[in-house]
Amino acid sequence: MAGSIPGSDLAERAAGLSRPAPEPLRARRWKVLRRAARARLAPFGGAVMLLAMLAALAAPVLAPYDPLAQNLGNTLARPGRAHLLGTDNVGRDVLSRVIWGTRVSLVAGLVSVALAVVAGTLLGILAGYFGGRVDGFVMRLMDAVLSFPPLVLALALGAVLGAGLTGVLLALGVVYTPTFARLMRGQVLSIEARDYVDAARALGASGWRVAWRHVVPNAINPIIVQASLSVAFAILAEASLSFLGLGIQPPQASWGSMINAGRGYLQQAPWIVFGPGGALFVTVVGLNFVGDAVRDALDPRVRG
Amino acid sequence: MGRLVLRRLGATVPVLLLVTAGVFLLLHLTPGDPIDVMMAESVDATVKENLRHELGLDRPLHVQYAAWMGRLLRGDLGRSIRNGEPVIENVSRRLRPSLELALCAMAISLVIAFPLGIASAMRRNTTIDRAGATFALCGICMPNFLLALLLIFLFGVTLRWLPISGYTDPLEEPWNGLRSLALPAVTLGLALAAVVTRTLRSSLLEALAEDYVRTARAKGLSEWQVIWSHVLKNALIPVVTVLGLQLGTLIGGAVITEYVFALPGVGRLVVDAVFARDYPLVQGVVLLIAVGFILSNLIVDVLYGWIDPRIRSR
Repeated sequence: MAGSIPGSDLAERAAGLSRPAPEPLRARRWKVLRRAARARLAPFGGAVMLLAMLAALAAPVLAPYDPLAQNLGNTLARPGRAHLLGTDNVGRDVLSRVIWGTRVSLVAGLVSVALAVVAGTLLGILAGYFGGRVDGFVMRLMDAVLSFPPLVLALALGAVLGAGLTGVLLALGVVYTPTFARLMRGQVLSIEARDYVDAARALGASGWRVAWRHVVPNAINPIIVQASLSVAFAILAEASLSFLGLGIQPPQASWGSMINAGRGYLQQAPWIVFGPGGALFVTVVGLNFVGDAVRDALDPRVRG
Repeated sequence: MGRLVLRRLGATVPVLLLVTAGVFLLLHLTPGDPIDVMMAESVDATVKENLRHELGLDRPLHVQYAAWMGRLLRGDLGRSIRNGEPVIENVSRRLRPSLELALCAMAISLVIAFPLGIASAMRRNTTIDRAGATFALCGICMPNFLLALLLIFLFGVTLRWLPISGYTDPLEEPWNGLRSLALPAVTLGLALAAVVTRTLRSSLLEALAEDYVRTARAKGLSEWQVIWSHVLKNALIPVVTVLGLQLGTLIGGAVITEYVFALPGVGRLVVDAVFARDYPLVQGVVLLIAVGFILSNLIVDVLYGWIDPRIRSR
């Protein structure tokens, strides 16, 4: 399993450029140090992730107020004991809305990446296995998807699929699919050339059995690494689309739409923006640490 | 070098075909009747029929595609439903603010990233290295719109130093123009600077471990001379790769930045067209952006060949 892993597109592009020179001791020591630094941060990432999951699952219990209940007598209230993050322009409790918004963000991040993993993996296996014309067509299709700036593609797809969470999930799923398809195809091609696959073939295993029992289990690690790194960026992307007005529609709370709604009150009530903004930033940083930790644990290239 | 360009161009053609097909099908993915989505219920049925006919939606799909491609090749991208103007004119009017924004952001990011990246690599594990790493992490994780609002809050609302929205052309009124571009360009530039700093630092570290660096040091060059004349050019290749890969993110960021700061650029046009359900305009602009994106990637590929002679021969 310690073979070459054609990583993300970045690594693929750079592969021909960097020479695998033997590492000097100093650089190796630096890597160990860096990993230690990351390991210190991984628990923070894990804690953030657990907290976000807890908030998402237990939102009805944790939220001190109804996230949709307006109170026009108490609008733009400063953060205080009654409302820890203040209230917005129609008197809704910002903290409650942030807690409920966690649900939308996590669902968006996890579901869209899951869609992309499934679609990308299947397409990658298809391309790597059948080769030739199928390979050419699938990969050109992926190139075509990649030749749109991600946000612009998601915007256009979201617009066509209609505003709402489903449209955004599908759009982001499409946007992230090529990464996984490329990754899986590379894996299939490199694993197909191994001796144990020949051995399985010689024993009379069918093509699907080889794919399912030998190729997929051996190819799965880089997919997991890429998926865990992608979740944070999918959450960012969902927030951006909600900010622009796609995604879950008001009055339902999502971090992006809350930030957009609060932008007119920056002067009087900056907490409407910076409450959900802080939650979004901390979540993304935390998930990034988790992604890095997963990569360190699974990727032999980084393990050094 | 010429062959490299030709080969890349050749590989681009099938992708371009698929992209046009995708953009064409965009309109047909709409659940329900696109005309009903574009126009209010109350609009007269004959008006709807006319639009349907004008857009060719009453003809078979392949005929529509052929007609659309034919017009495309003659440079006709259709007309906006809202203002009836050709898409090309809509876009070209919006191009200048977008390009100015992109150039300023690029300049800002390089001005920040190069000193910070080089300092981080030369003074590894010091305060400046850690500061650089923290900056890079924050820049990568910070959503564009949040950074924009933070800057607006600080410099626009609290300190009142800079305008928070609107656009003045710097080519006509240099001072006010640059002021109107300052916050958007910093928003976009900081995010890019974060990625470039991180890449530059790690590629410099890799290059510093090479044998020729030891040789250069052994012959008595100062650390600055080593960096400047031996390491930097070799460390530049991953930076160009990352800049190329970041281009898409940059364009997406520009869309959001233009939206937040009400800059009348191409990104703002996309958002407006999407929400006005002006599908011909969406199609046209998205296609133009994709083509621009493909061409810039082509330029990045060719840049490799220019920086690294080894690639030219491959």
